[in-house]
Amino acid sequence: MDFGYTSDQQDLRQQIQAFMDENVTQGLLDEMEGGEEGGRGPQYRELVKKVADKGWIGISWPKEYGGQSGSRIDQYIVEEEFMRRGIAVGGAGSGAPAILAAGTEEQKEFFIPGMIRGEIIFALGFTEPQAGADLAGLQCRAVRDGDDFVINGQKMYTSAAHYASHIYMMCRTDPDAPRHRGISIFLVPMDTPGITVRPLWTIQSDPPAPPGTTYGMVRTNETFFENVRIPASSMLGEENGGWYVGAMGLNLDRVGASRYLISVRRDEDIVNWVKENDFNGYSPADNPAVRDKLAEMWTEAQVCRLMTMRSMSLVNRDGNFTYEGSAEKVWAPEHGVKTTEAISQMLGPYAQLLSNSEENIEDGLFAHNLMGSFQSGINHGSVQIMRDQMARRGLGMPRG
Amino acid sequence: MDILPTEEEQMLKNVAREFLEAEVSTALVREMELDGLGYPPALWKQMADLGWLGMSLPEQYGGQGLPLVYLGLIIEEIGRVMAPVPLHSTMVAALTIDSDGTDQQKQDILPAVADGKMVLTWAVHERDARLIPEAMNLEAKADGDGWILNGTKMFVDNFVVAQRCLVACRTSPASDANQGISLFLVDPNGTGVNQTALVTLAKDKQSRVDFKDHRIESAALVGEIDQGWPIIEAMLDRGTALLCCQMVGAARKDSEMAIEYAKNRVAFGRPIGSFQSVQHMLADMLLHVDGGEMLTFEALWKMDQGLPASVEVSQAKAFCNEKCESVVRTSQVIHGGIGFMMEFDLHLWFRRVTAWTMRMGTTYDHRAKIASALLDVPGKVRLGMPLPAAG
Repeated sequence: MDFGYTSDQQDLRQQIQAFMDENVTQGLLDEMEGGEEGGRGPQYRELVKKVADKGWIGISWPKEYGGQSGSRIDQYIVEEEFMRRGIAVGGAGSGAPAILAAGTEEQKEFFIPGMIRGEIIFALGFTEPQAGADLAGLQCRAVRDGDDFVINGQKMYTSAAHYASHIYMMCRTDPDAPRHRGISIFLVPMDTPGITVRPLWTIQSDPPAPPGTTYGMVRTNETFFENVRIPASSMLGEENGGWYVGAMGLNLDRVGASRYLISVRRDEDIVNWVKENDFNGYSPADNPAVRDKLAEMWTEAQVCRLMTMRSMSLVNRDGNFTYEGSAEKVWAPEHGVKTTEAISQMLGPYAQLLSNSEENIEDGLFAHNLMGSFQSGINHGSVQIMRDQMARRGLGMPRG
Repeated sequence: MDILPTEEEQMLKNVAREFLEAEVSTALVREMELDGLGYPPALWKQMADLGWLGMSLPEQYGGQGLPLVYLGLIIEEIGRVMAPVPLHSTMVAALTIDSDGTDQQKQDILPAVADGKMVLTWAVHERDARLIPEAMNLEAKADGDGWILNGTKMFVDNFVVAQRCLVACRTSPASDANQGISLFLVDPNGTGVNQTALVTLAKDKQSRVDFKDHRIESAALVGEIDQGWPIIEAMLDRGTALLCCQMVGAARKDSEMAIEYAKNRVAFGRPIGSFQSVQHMLADMLLHVDGGEMLTFEALWKMDQGLPASVEVSQAKAFCNEKCESVVRTSQVIHGGIGFMMEFDLHLWFRRVTAWTMRMGTTYDHRAKIASALLDVPGKVRLGMPLPAAG
């Protein structure tokens, strides 16, 4: 067991922190808040280039596709430091693990370097109006027509669709096969004719959530596909084998710096806030009930961190997850909700004040967190489904 | 950074498990609940021969000088089978004698401990059972080159079988310079020392110990006079982390029994483990044991590295207190009525884990320590980074 970072890893962290102090300007942050191009404007692209020159992007991805073939721990450090500044650079994003595992040589060479450079961005097209938790019930059809496939259907909560270059989507290719065996994955350019993106505004949109809010995105999308014709070479993995390709990517999507930080930043925020602020002389930090709760939450947050470290250790050993990814996806989101709700009882009525209110705290962060934190327990596999997986895969319980 | 056990650590665990599963039956556990000593000396000797008693003691005193993490892995396995041996109390005291005792004390005690010839214990709790300096009232009054002890210690583990006991005493009022507390090595069979057995949920050996004009010589002092509290704190930190190992080991085994039961017990025409409500209870048990285990071994690992670990210890104990208790209670619930029957073994684990949650600091005690580290020292906190240092 080794719970520490090597001196090289500590150096890496310090270098990144110094780099960020120098390069993350207010101008960049304003541009990213702008929302056009998903916040990925000229200043962002300039930053990505500098980060790439440092060799900090795609650290754990293979060298042949533009990565550094480094350790997953190094990549974790990069991701954590970037995300703490509100900047999503460092990894290669959703879909990359599955492309690396199941893609053709041509697909890997085309997609991975572009993803690492931040030029290829995927929207995730799994969920449908009638297929959420029970994803295998999806109905979006892809029908073979010569060397092409023609897609018709609708995808929900395609959050990146309005700025993504591609969509990583699951379609039904064999309606007569058992549900899990009639699904294929396609990598579809968003500019293909027949794709329509329609915004869905979230409960964080009016007023807009302040930066750093847990699930503070103001918009997601529904995406419609009408006779969308794509070459068969857009398929990822085997025809009708998409369910298993998709599951591979999702497991890795559930672990790492992003999931960890979403769930624990509130613990740091509230401790640091009560240390430096008071209400007319009353400091929640002096209230024994608050102190007990903060210590309880801090301890739970440490377990979030350790579960993330366990997942990183497993990935780094090339080990297989049995239940550990699912465990992290239960513990961390539920912890995030507990802390967020506890904070509202520590700050009292101030925690109801939204981003555009007088007298709000931290631009309304704690109020908007209340609307966002539970979201983490729903998406990418709800905590209930994660518990099913823990019991069945981890403990060998029979299906109901 | 790789928080999973190394191959060597896993091997140590496996060997310990194999030995303990062969040697420690629940029949033995039950027998020792009624036994005067509370442990089988032959088993104790076997553990000495395996090198467990000297595992984390220095080589020059007959030990192996291995990290506390290794001892923690052994104690986790001890907890798993609830081996009725005075290992925890002996190690708590022996590690403190190793770190702060005189050469003479080390020579007299550590080789004997490693050989299995000496059982030790420690006495800090008093009637106000909080483990804080203010609660230390047992008086040690200077008398020539020795001291005279008067007062009472509570909840002293294995006192009836110990040959030496470390006792926290008040030698002066607290001052700006120190807490006025000193640590002494006491002979449990000495004149003016009387123990009264307490009957505990775990049915183990605990005592109230009354000191009446008990005289000790100058050689009994561990560390400096009036300056014992930091030594005691370090002793309690090590002991608390090792107790967490025992709790996690026992809770893990208890959860495994619930898992097996859920696979096999049929109700409404199918195994109860196929019901989602039961599956989710089991998933939570797994989360809780894993969480306790990771917090515990991080604390031990930090101690091995010479890093501050008091907050980590408190995190581990506060978490284990609630979550290990939840695990063994949930296991009782899954087992239904049979788990409530004396003849069924499950209660052996339930009673012990429950009792251990109250030892070496309650959830509230430990959270108060964590809160103080978080809130009473200026500076920003960040998870995964050292907290701002006091002073």
